[in-house]
Amino acid sequence: MHSERGRRWLIAIAALLGAVPVPLATAQEAERFEVRNAYVELVNGEWLLDVRLDLALAEAARQAFEQGVPLVLRLEIEASMERRLLPDEDVVSMGRRWQLAYDAIAERYVVTDVKAGTHVSHATQEEAFEALGRIGGIVIADTETLPEGRRFDMRVRATVEIGELPAAVRMLLFWRGWSRTTEWYAWQVRP
Amino acid sequence: MVRLAGAAVIRRWFPFIAGAGIVIWVTALVMLALTAEGPQRFGELYLAILLINVAGVVALLFLIGGRLADFVRDWRRHVPGSRLRGRTLLMFGGLAIAPLLLVFTFSVMFLTRGIDGWFHAEVRQGLTDALGLSRAALDLRMREYLDRTLRMGARLAGESGAGLYFALDEELRRSDAEELIVMSAGGQTLAYSRAGLQHALPAPPPRELLLQLRQGRPHVSLQPAPGGGYQVLAATQLPAGAGSQSPRALVATYPVPQRLSDLAGTVQQAYQQYGQLSYLREPLKAAFVLTLSLVLLMALLAAVYGALYFSERLVRPVQDLIAGTRAVAKGDFDTRLLRPSHDEIGFLVTSFNDMTKKLARAREETERSRAAVEAERAALAVILARLTSGVISLEPDLRVRVANQAAGAILGVDFEGAAGRPLAEIAAGHPLLAELHELLQRHVESGETEWREQLTLRTESGRRELVCACTALPGDAGAQGLVLVFDEVTQLLQAQRQAAWGEVARRLAHEIRNPLTPIQLSAERMRRKLMRGLGAPEAELLDRSTHTIVQQVEAMKQMVAAFSEYAKAPEMSIREFDLSALVRQVADLYHAQDPRVAFGLSLDPKASLLEADPGRIRQLLNNLLTNSLEALDGRENPVIMIETQRSGGQVSLVVVDNGPGFQGGLLEQAFDPYVTSKPKGTGLGLAIVRRIVEEHGGTVEVDNAPQGGARVRIMLPATAREARRAEARREKA
Repeated sequence: MHSERGRRWLIAIAALLGAVPVPLATAQEAERFEVRNAYVELVNGEWLLDVRLDLALAEAARQAFEQGVPLVLRLEIEASMERRLLPDEDVVSMGRRWQLAYDAIAERYVVTDVKAGTHVSHATQEEAFEALGRIGGIVIADTETLPEGRRFDMRVRATVEIGELPAAVRMLLFWRGWSRTTEWYAWQVRP
Repeated sequence: MVRLAGAAVIRRWFPFIAGAGIVIWVTALVMLALTAEGPQRFGELYLAILLINVAGVVALLFLIGGRLADFVRDWRRHVPGSRLRGRTLLMFGGLAIAPLLLVFTFSVMFLTRGIDGWFHAEVRQGLTDALGLSRAALDLRMREYLDRTLRMGARLAGESGAGLYFALDEELRRSDAEELIVMSAGGQTLAYSRAGLQHALPAPPPRELLLQLRQGRPHVSLQPAPGGGYQVLAATQLPAGAGSQSPRALVATYPVPQRLSDLAGTVQQAYQQYGQLSYLREPLKAAFVLTLSLVLLMALLAAVYGALYFSERLVRPVQDLIAGTRAVAKGDFDTRLLRPSHDEIGFLVTSFNDMTKKLARAREETERSRAAVEAERAALAVILARLTSGVISLEPDLRVRVANQAAGAILGVDFEGAAGRPLAEIAAGHPLLAELHELLQRHVESGETEWREQLTLRTESGRRELVCACTALPGDAGAQGLVLVFDEVTQLLQAQRQAAWGEVARRLAHEIRNPLTPIQLSAERMRRKLMRGLGAPEAELLDRSTHTIVQQVEAMKQMVAAFSEYAKAPEMSIREFDLSALVRQVADLYHAQDPRVAFGLSLDPKASLLEADPGRIRQLLNNLLTNSLEALDGRENPVIMIETQRSGGQVSLVVVDNGPGFQGGLLEQAFDPYVTSKPKGTGLGLAIVRRIVEEHGGTVEVDNAPQGGARVRIMLPATAREARRAEARREKA
């Protein structure tokens, strides 16, 4: 509520400063953009994360992508363990990035895992988004960090934003909805 | 104090801060110019430019706010120069703002058109054509690779098991492929051969590849390579072999030649960047306009601040001049202004300072002249005050300009506050001044301005003689007034008259006394010698005649003795004695001589002791009482009242009788010798009284009492010290 009001103030100030007319994020853009499902499993002594996302892009982001601007998916992963009489201990706090870009020569949509350096191309945009929304096998910790017999809390959230833009341009695009973040998806892992 | 100290620090460091701000701002402008190189540079510099300008704008707003507040305060208080400063501010501001706005308008137009120029249709078309060309070139390559794969698949159709592996390796060596995979219909890798390292598993094939293979069609596609560049992915179903094998497919990966891949990559990158630019077109324009607006705003504010600053600098000397002029108008001729520059304002300030210097010198001269005049006036006032002569300065219309104390004393008029009043108005109720005014008026009416005259004034206390002299005061435009100088010469004349009479008396005494004795002796001898030889009638005649001669000679001797006594002035014998006792003694003596005269004594005990010559005071009383008794001869109920009273350092002695009093003409000459209304009087009684009183430093007045009769009022100093003071005052006067 406050962020919306603040954004409108910024829009008004920018308009007063002679900025271009500003298309506001409309209610139509408020499609499903959330972490649909997420879970972790212990495989060979490592905790692996699988996440399923509903990536309904903001109209501005979609337009930008269609005009050749890459999109970036950032996944924030946090895990904390309960402690008696003390605040929870944050044991995992990590992020992963994927980039989705359109290759006009190959006429393919390329999803690149920035950390791993691997990429997968897709023939269609839907296929690419579907692949981007199906993230699996992310190693988040080993059993030393997250012991198998302990109970811990997990939470993840995803952000899709227009990538590879100068910071100043990003700032100018603030009111154009260049970035969208899901709510935290939290669950508890019990032994 | 802290605030003042802070302001002083700010003033001291302001030039450095302002200089640093200008350098930073110029840097920001240079950076702004550099942003024209492209969006990447713009992105790098934008934040710095924005922050510098925002900081500059905020700083300027504070500075302008402060100066505007000062200006508005001065304007409301009507501080001198604030209106001029306002006009200067408007002029400077207008001159600076109008071009800036013009430049801004055209800059925005050029900017937006420049950015729009990046997105010309030709550019887009060129990029699209380049893209198409790249694709066409790669399509040829892809078609070629697909043909190769098809032929390769035909050759591998019959292979299976270990033979398939060897055949794959052989085909890999013979072809340009970097990877060959034989997979099942479900996408499972059955065998693969790859140039280079073999330990990594092949990547899963794209979904559309499998779909196309299931549909029985070969597949070829261009794929971005993991390490950059491109690769061609071609796949075909392997024809079923003799051993009724399940459907299989050959997937071959061919690298695109490096040169072609780089060119294609460049085209792809350009196309992508163009897409980004297209997307960022409006935001970039907005950012540029925003930045330009900020720069302009800063320039505008700087112009406004400059206008405020320079208008203040320009007006300050004028304000100083106004303040200096006001100070000069208030009489502060010591005002000096700092010369602000060497221009016309500086010349004006120098002229002002010269003027104030000259004014100061002139004022000093005037002050000196005025002081001299004041000193002269004070000296004149002292002289006038010390003068025994009365001096009255008059306007041409006979208004009093100034009068000294002696004038008031002589005329019995208080001239305090008389300046500016008509002399006639002051003279009302003052007969002496009225007569003087009448005399003056006569001369003025006759046109005489230079005259000298002796004026005889008749008063109740006797005749007074004034010697008057009048002269006109010189002036630029004729007579500026009159000065009347007068002196009372009554006492002088009386003294002269007294001295003359003393000389007469001495001569008379000397000339007459000498022959009297021979006359008397001759008459007595004649009677003695002739009486015997004469008859009775002749003897009686002789006897009566000689007796008459002897009697008259005797009378003449007495008269000569009186003259001699008048002329003779014996030594004073001053001592303290009881005046009341002396008065009673003399009164008793005269009462015994003539008992029918009643004596009334009113003696003040405070006036008992008197320091004087008792013999002379006794003679004084004798003379007064003798006069009174003679005046009361034949009167019914004759009464003589004697009164003494002490007043300050003076003792008054008043003798009043109920006789006929002084007759009109005699009152004025009562103290003159030989002036008498009595048939046998010598006329020396009151003259001697007056001389005795004056010898004691006192005063004597005669008049007629309201109830009738003569009244003599004598004032004597109570002590010799008072007498000396009175004598000194008289001499001073």
